[in-house]
Amino acid sequence: MPSRTIMLVPISDGDDDRQYQVEVLDDGPRQRARVEQRVYEVTHDGHGSLRITSDRTTTAWAVTVGDVRWVFVDGRVYELAEARPRERARAGGHHGSLTAPMPATVLRVLVGVGDAVKRGDPLVILEAMKMELPVRATSAGRIGAVHCRDGELVQPGVTLIEIDEG
Amino acid sequence: MGSVIRRVLIANRGEIAVRIARACREAGLESVAVYSDADADALHVRVADRAVRIGPAAPAESYLSVPTLIAAADQTEANAIHPGYGFLSERPELPRACEKAGIIFIGPPAGVMERMGSKIGARALMQGAGVPIVPGDTPRDQSDDGVLAAARGLGYPVLVKASAGGGGKGMRIVRHDGEAVESIAAARREATAAFGDGTLYVERLIDRPRHVEIQIFADAHGNVVHLFERECSVQRRHQKIVEESPSPAVTPAVRQRMGDAAVAAARAAGYRNAGTIEFLVEGEGDDARFYFLEMNTRLQVEHPVTEAVAGVDLVRAQFVVADGGRLPWTQEALAQRGHALECRVYAEDPAHGFLPQAGPLRLYREPTGPGIRVDSGVTEGDSVGVNYDPLLAKLIVHAETREAARTRAANALRNYPVLGTRTNIPFLIRLLELAAFRTGRLHTGMIEEHLAQLAPSDAPSNNVPPEAFIAAAFATAPSVARTGSDGSTLADADPWSTLRRWGR
Repeated sequence: MPSRTIMLVPISDGDDDRQYQVEVLDDGPRQRARVEQRVYEVTHDGHGSLRITSDRTTTAWAVTVGDVRWVFVDGRVYELAEARPRERARAGGHHGSLTAPMPATVLRVLVGVGDAVKRGDPLVILEAMKMELPVRATSAGRIGAVHCRDGELVQPGVTLIEIDEG
Repeated sequence: MGSVIRRVLIANRGEIAVRIARACREAGLESVAVYSDADADALHVRVADRAVRIGPAAPAESYLSVPTLIAAADQTEANAIHPGYGFLSERPELPRACEKAGIIFIGPPAGVMERMGSKIGARALMQGAGVPIVPGDTPRDQSDDGVLAAARGLGYPVLVKASAGGGGKGMRIVRHDGEAVESIAAARREATAAFGDGTLYVERLIDRPRHVEIQIFADAHGNVVHLFERECSVQRRHQKIVEESPSPAVTPAVRQRMGDAAVAAARAAGYRNAGTIEFLVEGEGDDARFYFLEMNTRLQVEHPVTEAVAGVDLVRAQFVVADGGRLPWTQEALAQRGHALECRVYAEDPAHGFLPQAGPLRLYREPTGPGIRVDSGVTEGDSVGVNYDPLLAKLIVHAETREAARTRAANALRNYPVLGTRTNIPFLIRLLELAAFRTGRLHTGMIEEHLAQLAPSDAPSNNVPPEAFIAAAFATAPSVARTGSDGSTLADADPWSTLRRWGR
């Protein structure tokens, strides 16, 4: 089987968008892959468990969930995505939008459009699992838009508040 | 055991319901699981002998509904109910309804639960039994001003908390007048939401205390024993994360005094079955002072730590005592051996304020090995919902020494891959490796104090090892044949639906 090349980029936090190129040299139960000039032997059991060997052997686990490749190595979890040309894997954070991290009820909206906020200020209090969860300003600025109201049920990823920075 | 109990309805869900169902099987008792619509396929339903639907996902209409649970016991002819922890476990309505329905309640009598459930009543009782208590008060005037006045009277810092509650809900630290009003209002809202009772209690905050609790057990024949301490200082916002026994700070002399106080407290309360006396401990060595904090009239989340060091099965003993039998151990026969440590595995994101996470457990593999026990409520392919506590499992390790237990736990966590939903496993490893934890200098503010060190060390992208990228390159959606416990092969286009069924 011919070799294939995959570009991968971490999608969890961190501003470094460094991409890694993994070249899969041959397929089959015993495989080899190359990263930055170094060749690794890879065996996997078909159930998400891998052994990766160069001068040492590392056990890793990996699965895909949608477009995200989840990896567990040495007690750490990495979420990676295949990088595609002219498309950033991570949604940009330049306009400073704040989203709900999980399904939750909006307990109180603490700010209105035009309010000046400091980094860390609570903007919205969400409630999930009987816990109050404040959504805090990620940067200083003015509130550009409020997209939620008290009592509303919000879904993860939905923008609650927009901050105009500066 | 010449048993009156035949069939036990487990009025709970998650890992504790699974653990109780296992104990039932070992004791030759039948188990009945209950489930809400959110839990129809949950592990606790799969491991029980029978299962009954008790209502929609909302806890108030299912796991918190006394009439529904009594009806479920009736319908399945269960003659005993085990409440687990949380939910109705400390609500006297349940034992009272059991009594009326002729069902054995596996826990203390309703009256004891009622008295110990009220912080005021419990404190008065403890004071009477000569057990030291932390200065505090439930203000008669429950208005903001009344609670504020009580806080000022005790002197800052104070703790404002739900009079009815536990588990950190409705609890706030207030350090000065400026933050008092907002904290009082928030505590009251959370108390009302969680317990249906917004009454607040104010007490003096002991700075940098340890949280050490004593497991007690009493039967109906006048026997009361303690099963030593559990050190539970490693908490975040009053939610315990790592528990251990013995406590690195409790000397034999202090252990003796605390054990005696706990037994005296249990006797004064007229206690029966398994219970825990929580203490705050201040100071070091033989001079350490301890104060009664509260009594938990139920099995604790962290009970396996005691089971490991004392070599006992607390749930099985609960059955014996509920059946009218004698305690299986005398105080003299009990001893602590080695060191046990429990880590709570939560579906939460430590990098984002520990927010509870929901999602699929696309890959979930528990570690195994000598001295390793995992009590879990999930298996691979399950989904974590938003309706209940995000506790997935508890890793309990036992080893000769504290250091051996610590490294055993850290290694087990490195072999505990959970993918598809974020968990605190990486955080737990960092916690176990923190110098303050290694040396045993624990206090309840330890996590907050070291939060910077406990955060993921760098932006992850700065140090993703090449092995992670390689693993990612080979990642697949798991879509392979699985062998069921009966040896049959379950091949299917969507293993995530078929996996749920095996073992049934």
